[in-house]
Amino acid sequence: MAESDKTRESRERSGSQGDLGRKFLELVEKFGEIELDNVTMTVDELTLMLQPSVTRFVRPVARPEIAPPIAKLVDRLVEVEFAPPVETYPAQVVEVQLGATRSEGGTRRKVVKIGGAKTLPFYGFEGINPNGPAFAMDVFDMPLHLPKAVRQHFDDVIDDPAAWAKKCVKDFSADVISLNLISTDPGLKNTSPAEAANTVENVLQAIDVPVVIGGSGNKQKDPLVLEKAAEATHGERCLLNSVSTDTDYKTVVRAALKHNHSVVAFTPMDINNQKKLNRLLLGEGLPKTQLVIDPTTGALGYGIEYSLSLLERIRLGALMGDTELQMPVLSAASNAWGAREAWMKIDDWGPKEFRGPLWETVTGLTMLMSGADLFMVSHPATVRVLKQIAENLYGIGETKHSIENWITALG
Amino acid sequence: MAKKATLLSVYQLLPQTNCAKCGEITCMSFASKLLERRATVEECPPLREDQYGSQAVKLRDLVAPPIKEIVLGVGERAVKLGGKQVVYRHELTLHNPTAIAIDVSDKVDDSTLASRCKLIESFQFTRIGEKLTLNAIALRYASGNPERFAQAAALVTRSTSLPLVLCSLDPEGLRHAVEQKGVLNKRPLLYAATKDNWKEVGSLAKQYKCPIAVFAPNDLRTLKSLVRTLQTIGVEDIVLDPGFYPEGGKMKDSIEHLVMIRRAAIQREDKDFAYPILLIPAVAWLGDGVDERAAAYREAYLASLLLTRFADMIILHSTETWEILPVITLRQSVYTDPRKPVAVESGLREIGKPDVNSPVLITSNFALTYYTVSNDIESQGVTCYLLVLNTEGLSVETSVAGGQFTAADVKDLIASTGIEGKIGHRKLIIPGLAARLSGDIEDQTKWEVIVGPRDSSEIKGFLEKRWEVRKA
Amino acid sequence: MSDRVCEPDKLRDDAPPAADVKFPMEIGEMFEGQRIRRPDMYAEFGGVDVPKKFELLLVKAMEEVEDGKVEIIGPDLPELKVGGSYTLGLLIHVAGKKIDKDIEGVLERRVHYFANYIEGVMHVNQRTDVWVRLSRKSYDKGLNTLRWVGRALILLFRRSLPIIEKIQITFITDPTMLEDYYQQALEVYKSRDERARGLMEEQVEEFYSCVLCQSFAPTHVCIITPNRMGGCGSISWFDARASSNVDPKGPNFPVRKGECLDPVKGIYTGVDEVVKERSLGAIEHIRLHTIFDQPHTSCGCFEAIAYFIPEVDGIGIVHRDFKGPTVNGLSFSTMAEHTSGGTQNAGFLGIAIEYMRSAKFLQADGGWSRIVWMPTQVKDRVKDSIPLEMFGSIATEKDAKTAGELKEFLKGKNHPVIQRWKEVAKEEAVPPKEEERAVAAEETPTVIPAGIEIPAMAGGFKIVLKNARIVAEKVIIKRAEKK
Repeated sequence: MAESDKTRESRERSGSQGDLGRKFLELVEKFGEIELDNVTMTVDELTLMLQPSVTRFVRPVARPEIAPPIAKLVDRLVEVEFAPPVETYPAQVVEVQLGATRSEGGTRRKVVKIGGAKTLPFYGFEGINPNGPAFAMDVFDMPLHLPKAVRQHFDDVIDDPAAWAKKCVKDFSADVISLNLISTDPGLKNTSPAEAANTVENVLQAIDVPVVIGGSGNKQKDPLVLEKAAEATHGERCLLNSVSTDTDYKTVVRAALKHNHSVVAFTPMDINNQKKLNRLLLGEGLPKTQLVIDPTTGALGYGIEYSLSLLERIRLGALMGDTELQMPVLSAASNAWGAREAWMKIDDWGPKEFRGPLWETVTGLTMLMSGADLFMVSHPATVRVLKQIAENLYGIGETKHSIENWITALG
Repeated sequence: MAKKATLLSVYQLLPQTNCAKCGEITCMSFASKLLERRATVEECPPLREDQYGSQAVKLRDLVAPPIKEIVLGVGERAVKLGGKQVVYRHELTLHNPTAIAIDVSDKVDDSTLASRCKLIESFQFTRIGEKLTLNAIALRYASGNPERFAQAAALVTRSTSLPLVLCSLDPEGLRHAVEQKGVLNKRPLLYAATKDNWKEVGSLAKQYKCPIAVFAPNDLRTLKSLVRTLQTIGVEDIVLDPGFYPEGGKMKDSIEHLVMIRRAAIQREDKDFAYPILLIPAVAWLGDGVDERAAAYREAYLASLLLTRFADMIILHSTETWEILPVITLRQSVYTDPRKPVAVESGLREIGKPDVNSPVLITSNFALTYYTVSNDIESQGVTCYLLVLNTEGLSVETSVAGGQFTAADVKDLIASTGIEGKIGHRKLIIPGLAARLSGDIEDQTKWEVIVGPRDSSEIKGFLEKRWEVRKA
Repeated sequence: MSDRVCEPDKLRDDAPPAADVKFPMEIGEMFEGQRIRRPDMYAEFGGVDVPKKFELLLVKAMEEVEDGKVEIIGPDLPELKVGGSYTLGLLIHVAGKKIDKDIEGVLERRVHYFANYIEGVMHVNQRTDVWVRLSRKSYDKGLNTLRWVGRALILLFRRSLPIIEKIQITFITDPTMLEDYYQQALEVYKSRDERARGLMEEQVEEFYSCVLCQSFAPTHVCIITPNRMGGCGSISWFDARASSNVDPKGPNFPVRKGECLDPVKGIYTGVDEVVKERSLGAIEHIRLHTIFDQPHTSCGCFEAIAYFIPEVDGIGIVHRDFKGPTVNGLSFSTMAEHTSGGTQNAGFLGIAIEYMRSAKFLQADGGWSRIVWMPTQVKDRVKDSIPLEMFGSIATEKDAKTAGELKEFLKGKNHPVIQRWKEVAKEEAVPPKEEERAVAAEETPTVIPAGIEIPAMAGGFKIVLKNARIVAEKVIIKRAEKK
């Protein structure tokens, strides 16, 4: 290639660099390509003209038209170091115990501890949270309309809460029983608190796991029902479900303190409301170790994302030091059955026998991964699946299949 | 944490001449679009000039999401992977919903292949006014015959406009497929480079400028090393597959690795992990004598689990609606922008079979409110008309306070739905939380307003006590 | 406490009133919107046809208040002509250990809400605009004396605000007796307003915070001082103080000032502590009176935005009702997206319109002398607070719709901001002078030694390195393929 006068001038101006440049040119002409190792260049001014082969704005990268065989450039994997990005947190979630053994003043053979997390859910590389999730199965104190997928498991016990509870523990491995005293609803049977308390006692006697005592949702009656039930189960460390900002929480807290129970603080998907309620309850003298949060679980497709983010915010807040959020979280995954996808017969959507349990399972699983500690669940399959996943996420269980060859192994 | 882009910091890197060549009247306006990811730096012509060289580079870095955005496919059904800005959705929102690919084997015959592709392409489910679809085809090299793999790849690109993932750990198969006519210009994802084949597969990716996946099951160090090596040779579009074990204790590491990768990329500026993550719940089908329904069930909930742990793309095996439904529903939910309220269509709904004497209720179009109310009254067996007011997706309480739920709006809704022609009375039951508007609404609509309960669960009881319209 | 943002006092619909009292009418939130039309009314007090009327709540010493007393000075309902309009002085005295005069106005605003909860009573406006109507139907059912109204109000006040330990109500319906009370009321309003406007950050011990919006913006905390309202426009320092006293576990709580590091920008160590804690470390410092450099955060319900207009180095204001783009090309809603969510966005700040009346309004940025544009609606609303000499120089949408037009306008009016244009030198685009490591370590660039010209192709660009030291593991120089 001929040099123009102009380039010769500039080359001469560049002095030794110009000589070097000419040398390179000669070599390149001869061999087509030269390779220099460990080069250091000091330049006053160097202009790089870069002609990318596509006319889009990219980071300045030279792209050779044809890629040289890699072996010439890189012949082995680059060595890297990697340390897991561990975060440390200034605070943790408190631990709440459900159930009390004989020596503790109760009659449970097993107690269940929830909470105590020091890290985010299943971030095992930065800390193993001491308590895995616990699963409470729903029992009702009167027969009610249940989706078929659930009902089929309990047809034989639906008239007898104690037998129902027993079946949940024995056949389906429930860790806890969630007894819902819906018959106390004035719109249903308007059962008296005393009668309801009787039912609670019967159920307690039939099983040896802890119990969550739920009202009917009637705001005026529930505090009275929970108060009576608390009295009848003195010392058992039940979980009274629930109080909110617009119910008579003072009565329930008093009962919890007197008879040694814990309380669920329920709010409708509003973190400020939740913090306020927690503040109020703690202000009434309820210790943090007797408080469980229920910020509402939206069913899959019906608000689950609100719950997901709420739980993540609650857990992060707790770990970062927000004392009003440092309690374990309850998730009523059985809310999933309210979604029409779970119970409605629609042929286009496939068999509801699978849809239903799957809907509850995915709802529960999403909450599990967001940090829920205690679950209320209706279908046995959900309990089974979520328990197993929790175990696996703790590193327990045999991994039978390798996945390296999934491409061919799938057939 | 990386420096956050703000309106002003973005503006300062623009030419600030208000030349309007980008289509916006001011540079500030363009800055806003850049931040909202509705424009790219390329759309500012002056920025290509010499004098703005370094600014342009800085700007691109500033507005680029920490996780690289990679486009697969071309045309209408091209899909964007990655592009995530934050770890937790409440910090901002999650961009680019997880792409769902369905696998097909190259072993099946052509017509089966084509029809499966068509099925995947046409799958559609509408939810809250949004069309939910599947996003890609993952063609597996199972035949062992590279020619067959290439043929199958060509057939897939002919049969569908969906993007293609070419799955083969054998570089020979990949090469054949990618060199097959018509495959490359559909911008497929090459899966995958491993510690055993990275030289050949990497070279392929570089040569053909294809996005490439990197696969190192439960071995983050190797994964990182592979990525770094590929970056060294100039490969830019990388997708990470750190491996997912569907059962047993190895799942622990799989899931933890996802957290490590995403956190390292976004919170610790680790450039090796700043890429989209691809996971394969289809491994739930591995094993002998697998019961199909059990496997599909498993795949569904495992896919859901991965959606909550940063999966930017997943490969599934089954296309049963009952299985896909929870996965696409969860995907839609998780990728809802938490800053924007979710709204349903406003208008008139019929609950049960209402007639001229049926009560008329009204509520807001906030999705949560609407579904709560409608689920409650449906399950209670209530028969009524339900007017749904456009409150811009805000709840009753918020919209009453904020002025989106007003008497004038109610009047307009009554007119536009023609409800007056369907009933014999003029009574409107308003939510208890809208009580303060009762007089206003009466004045404007000339209807009688009855203030209903504050909670929709009490509607049935309320109607039984208070609703009396004698039949004509 | 405005109803807009704060929770209105929750009143259970079904909760019975005081056990020993059986009211002849219902009391509950469901009656809040009830309208009583002229043909349906028994009588009205105040309203357009009555020249003098007032509503006043006073905080008194404990011994000065007779708890539960309802007094009527003048005719009671049975003595009035049906359908008539009458004068009214509604005077409420309260006492309580935790109540101070500062929260009088806040408590007084509750009268409106409580009165409306009474079935058969409609209450509109406040102070000397007060207007009350009683329904004929309710009169016939037994609401036939103002005493019932008084007792209902007392019940509502006591139940919702436990800090009120004693309360008594007087209805003045005799026009000859009204005058003295009326004048007294006017005095009270005047001094209240003066105190409210005159109170400065320096004069108080504490600021207050508001976290009501944290549901929507987790890192957001509003710091409310006598010179800075909450962005929603609903909560003044007095409101927050009252709310904090009434509900110490609620969203408003005291914020220790700490040390004042900069009174102009508004930097207080106590404020930074609270902000850091409440945002869980996301926000560490805020400055109260500036839109630049660590400004106060916003949630999303602010009334207006103060935004930087770089073309003129000035600050513009736009409010929620203004549709369409402002002079910077962005509309309120677009800017709101960047300003909200509890982040610090230099150059953009959500504010309450009342903040424009503050003595410390954006004082770190130059206050009114830096304001260059605002919608006519806003200008009308705050015109009393705009310094006379600035009034004509601030453009509205009628004067300028683009930055170019604005610049001309400001020049023509000799706006103070013009001084700033002369001071700031324009920056030139300069090629990078500093040491730059070439990308060679990770890539394989083609390095062309100086002296060879290569024609620039379309889409290509050049990088000029000056005084550079280039270190590379490997450099490859190839002959370019001939086309």
